[in-house]
Amino acid sequence: MRIADIVFRQGHLSEEALTTAILGGDRPAHLEQCEACSQRARDLSLWLGNVRAEALEAADEVFPPERLALQHAQIMRRLEQIDAPPRVIAFPAQAVHAPRTHSERRVSPAWVGVAAAAGLAIGLVGGQISARVTPTASVPAPAQTQQAEPAQVAPAGPVTATSQPVNASLTTDWERYVPEDLLLLDQATPSLLETQLASAR
Amino acid sequence: MAEQVPPVSAREADARVALDIRAFQAEGRLDEARDRYGEVVTRYQRRAARIAYHYLRDAADADEAVQDAFIKAYMHIGTFREDLPFEVWFTRILINGCLDRLKARRRRERWMAPPMLDPNGVERDPADYLPSRGPSPEEVVLSAERRQQLMGAVAELPERQRMVFMLSHFDGRSSREVSAMTGLNESTVRVHLFRAIRRLRGLLVTRAATDQGTGRSNRANR
Ligand SMILES: [Zn+2]
Repeated sequence: MRIADIVFRQGHLSEEALTTAILGGDRPAHLEQCEACSQRARDLSLWLGNVRAEALEAADEVFPPERLALQHAQIMRRLEQIDAPPRVIAFPAQAVHAPRTHSERRVSPAWVGVAAAAGLAIGLVGGQISARVTPTASVPAPAQTQQAEPAQVAPAGPVTATSQPVNASLTTDWERYVPEDLLLLDQATPSLLETQLASAR
Repeated sequence: MAEQVPPVSAREADARVALDIRAFQAEGRLDEARDRYGEVVTRYQRRAARIAYHYLRDAADADEAVQDAFIKAYMHIGTFREDLPFEVWFTRILINGCLDRLKARRRRERWMAPPMLDPNGVERDPADYLPSRGPSPEEVVLSAERRQQLMGAVAELPERQRMVFMLSHFDGRSSREVSAMTGLNESTVRVHLFRAIRRLRGLLVTRAATDQGTGRSNRANR
């Protein structure tokens, strides 16, 4: 018997000694001689047994046989994917080494670059135009313009479907905000009307 | 007359299966390797699910943890050495996976909510952050209620105590096996186990007393 048990527990076993004995460790001789401690051991043992049974039941309720079967199938499917030859990865390598047939058309990288540059230019010009067309409602026009041409300016405030037709404001904006570059371009090229007149003559 | 096959222990059987799988993998007979491994999965799946569920307290998370552990074990079966029982080796993989998930959950919780501190200013276990479900009508049944209380109390154990308690008591492992599974030394395992039991008893007794008190006051109010 340990001194601590004699001093603090009048010779009875500590909880730790009791737990150790129940969980299959050293079984002190006191346990066989003392009815109180042996009853404590039985109670603790019963309690631990109940706790175990309840805990396992709780887990098994969450994972019933059907769920385990599904899990098993998922594991096997994942393993199959892991074991499968890496087809997706092998594809580009085969494509590179495969001889090119006549029916396959190849676009030169240079042309791809040209197309990208053209797209960028069109995007920039388009962006400029749309930026100048839309802002009448939100961005106020310079005060000078408003004073000089009061009749042409759209009324202040947000443009709504009820205040004026959308097409009307667009037309006004087009007339007012034709970019300088486009005007130069327009002057440098013959107009449709001029071409028609020339051909009629 | 049927040939007499000497009985083999579960440990020996596992070792044989592991060797078979390795041989099949080496020979490129992958279907057979998987079939053989499927037997291992069947044998340890329920046990793995119980461990993961008690550890993570979330069915979906536990499901993923179990799947990942089996996949990882299959992929690394070449590193399995027969001096350790397969289930100890596998449990180690599973526990490490669960720990990683808890860490990830903790990180997520840090980003999403301020850390929860207990009255002593110590950060609480991330498993405690999970929303606590109120009892549904079915759960009012006494046994279900008791189970809920138990699960709540187990969840309140500190991480290591919970792990050791689960493996020792729920899974019936010896201190030596738990030590091999967790990397803790045997005496630490025993200390954690004892503390877990003491704490769990304390928690459950307190809860039972609180519930009795609540029950009495509810009856008095009626
Ligand atoms: Zn005694």
